[in-house]
Amino acid sequence: MDRFVFLTFDGLSRGAVYAAFALALVLIWRAARIVNFAQGAMAVATAYVGYSVADATGSYWLGFVVAIVAGLLLGAGVERVVMRFVDHSSPLNGVVVALGLVLIIQGVLGMLYGNEFRPAAAPFSRDAFEIGGVALLSRYDLFVFAAVGAVVVLLTLLFTRTPTGLRMRAAAFAPDVSRLLGVSVGGMLTLGWALAAAVGSLAGMLVLPTELGLHPTAMDVVFISAFTAAVLGGLDSPIGSVLGGLLVGLLLSYISGYLGATVAPMAVLALLVIVLLSRPDGLFARSKARTA
Amino acid sequence: MSTESADPGLALHHITVRFGGLLALDDVSLRVPPGRVVGIIGPNGAGKTTLFNVICGFVTPQSGALTLDGRPFRPRPHQLSGRGITRTLQGVGQFNGMTVLENVQVGARRRDDDAWAALERCEVAEHAHRRPGELPYAKRKRVELARALAARPRILMLDEPAGGLDTDEIRWLADLIRDTESTVLLVEHHMELVMSVCDEILVLDFGKPIALGTPGEIRSNDRVAEAYLGTAA
Repeated sequence: MDRFVFLTFDGLSRGAVYAAFALALVLIWRAARIVNFAQGAMAVATAYVGYSVADATGSYWLGFVVAIVAGLLLGAGVERVVMRFVDHSSPLNGVVVALGLVLIIQGVLGMLYGNEFRPAAAPFSRDAFEIGGVALLSRYDLFVFAAVGAVVVLLTLLFTRTPTGLRMRAAAFAPDVSRLLGVSVGGMLTLGWALAAAVGSLAGMLVLPTELGLHPTAMDVVFISAFTAAVLGGLDSPIGSVLGGLLVGLLLSYISGYLGATVAPMAVLALLVIVLLSRPDGLFARSKARTA
Repeated sequence: MSTESADPGLALHHITVRFGGLLALDDVSLRVPPGRVVGIIGPNGAGKTTLFNVICGFVTPQSGALTLDGRPFRPRPHQLSGRGITRTLQGVGQFNGMTVLENVQVGARRRDDDAWAALERCEVAEHAHRRPGELPYAKRKRVELARALAARPRILMLDEPAGGLDTDEIRWLADLIRDTESTVLLVEHHMELVMSVCDEILVLDFGKPIALGTPGEIRSNDRVAEAYLGTAA
């Protein structure tokens, strides 16, 4: 039972990161109908920038903020410089370009920083508190929950309470109609990519200290887990992506804990295939959400 | 028919649009003075919606020009609203993932006040928190009108607003058009509505302007009758 409790809390902590990363994928999917396969590589790139600043200044938090801001800028730049010029007549075009970006970003990172793992420090202890002899959560886990929770709340407020969020949603649902109502659809797309990349950067900064550290491909497995979470929740559903992230985190934690860590990656892929075959719209997606 | 003036309002000067080998608009000129209701009619394929698309910036003419208040006007869709021009679409182009209120707020000048005022004016305020897809077609058309009115436009472009509506709804629509303070550009097939609300009507046939005049003049125009009926009246 103690083990189950520990694995549950560990899974929720890990799942919170997958949720944030899945949310980033959903943001771009809703705005541009593209699965941003470059999200992981972009997150690693901004994490390298953040940790470089942290190393140079000795301030983790400055590096943390710089990584998020770098995510905003990189996301906006990718949309403005690359994705805006992709022929969207076929959904495959955006996917191919995103995969090309992965290769470019990982290649550049390898040239700049090398292909060895570099340590990624955590700002808080990862030693779990024990309550009644049962290891539960670490301070770092609490930080992860707080950071992801804050992002979810802020994004929810943005999309439901602000004119900008309303315009972003409108631009995603029906771009031509939105233009006629004065919405700068291109601007909303750029903002959507920027926000998504910043959320991805946050997820990267949260997950890298729990993995092997910084490496150009460090987010590849995380990306697959987060993609599975997004598909599980429904690519159209922000709430679904969060719930999907938590479910995937729990599943991976239980499988790693009871069957061994080597089984976990296969379990994620198996889950992805099962969901795609049985519920391709996800467990929580609203059907016909974009038929305007 | 042609107007080369610096008067207030919207004016189209010798607009020509080709789609490949198809001449969609052929030297069309039109003046839309403030406060008037101007109808654009013609058989299917006459170029009515293309003309609207030119005014909205969705289509760039090969030749000709537009002026707004006598100044050159190069429309861009997302800047139209800021210039005081809004347009409804054929059918109902709504954001089905958003509530009725949110749909109207997207276009509203003042997010809450104008949105609620427009919803009340179009008598759909009680549906504000439902999704448009849950409403009957006629109500969805009213939501679309409310969304356009919430922008408090100088020029309101209505693209077949009566399509699919019953007699009572069309009567309500006619009253709304008559009562609005906006200049109205109306593309419509429902002749009774057009004749009852328009001050002036432009008739297109295969992209060519064949008549411009008051409803009475258009009714008695032989070329118009021929275009519609295929025979001289």
